[in-house]
Amino acid sequence: MPANSDTTKRIDPLVWLDKYGDALYGYARVRVRDGFIAEDLVQETLLAAYRSRQKFTGQSTVATWLTGILKHKISDYYRKLKPEFSDDSMDEYQHSTDHLFNEKEKWKIKPGDWAGDPKNIYEGKELLGVIHACLGDMPEKLSTAFTLREMEGATTAELCELFQTGKNNCWVILYRARMLLRRCLEVNWFGAKG
Amino acid sequence: MRHWMFSCKKIIGMISESMDRKLPLTQRMGIRFHLMMCTLCTRYQKQLFFIQKILRSGRKVSEQDEVDFGLSEEGRKRIEKYLNENTGEGKQ
Repeated sequence: MPANSDTTKRIDPLVWLDKYGDALYGYARVRVRDGFIAEDLVQETLLAAYRSRQKFTGQSTVATWLTGILKHKISDYYRKLKPEFSDDSMDEYQHSTDHLFNEKEKWKIKPGDWAGDPKNIYEGKELLGVIHACLGDMPEKLSTAFTLREMEGATTAELCELFQTGKNNCWVILYRARMLLRRCLEVNWFGAKG
Repeated sequence: MRHWMFSCKKIIGMISESMDRKLPLTQRMGIRFHLMMCTLCTRYQKQLFFIQKILRSGRKVSEQDEVDFGLSEEGRKRIEKYLNENTGEGKQ
């Protein structure tokens, strides 16, 4: 971007955008499902940074400072997201599994035998495609938590920070995601009856 | 029923949790004991591991093919415009 040096001195956010835009976007992109929302979050981060630029002490690097602001923006996003389920109650944890079990808590909808299925071979992109489609159908919080955990190696603590919630809720979120994904694959890849 | 005997429903919750943290000994024993007797929960656990393996091995493929991790040129332009419009009076 050919920002002339004059502009560069006056408006810092454009320099930040130039230098850190891609990194910030990449960070946001794996934490929200939609690319445009990731873009918005970067935009709001840069504006917020500009408005609070006096508070930047220089003790951390600009990149760290901006990432910190972005983290808050992402958490805000999840807090404002219309709750598709309430993760503040363990009732939901019960509810999500209820239909799979009988009153004695034994399997009612039994897991199918994938091992005996010829499709249980790694068919690369095709199977991954189904997995991604399944993740796309889940509530965003669940799929994000699961993707971050399994593909980015995020810890429970990082997820708790992102969602501003306690550890138990994080485990429940991951549990639900695994449960839904497994069932979705069973139906859409292994062809079990929905 | 002894304290280390858990229902299928409890066990699958614990199986998932064991993938995210180290469970207390009683729970680990509970899972092991339960799986020795229960084909369905054993199956469930194997399937979770299978999914995990696929995702980890497919990490690179999906990143390159499906998600662009840098800002698009248009995106960059939009943000630039937005910042120019919103940081006007504040400039020094």
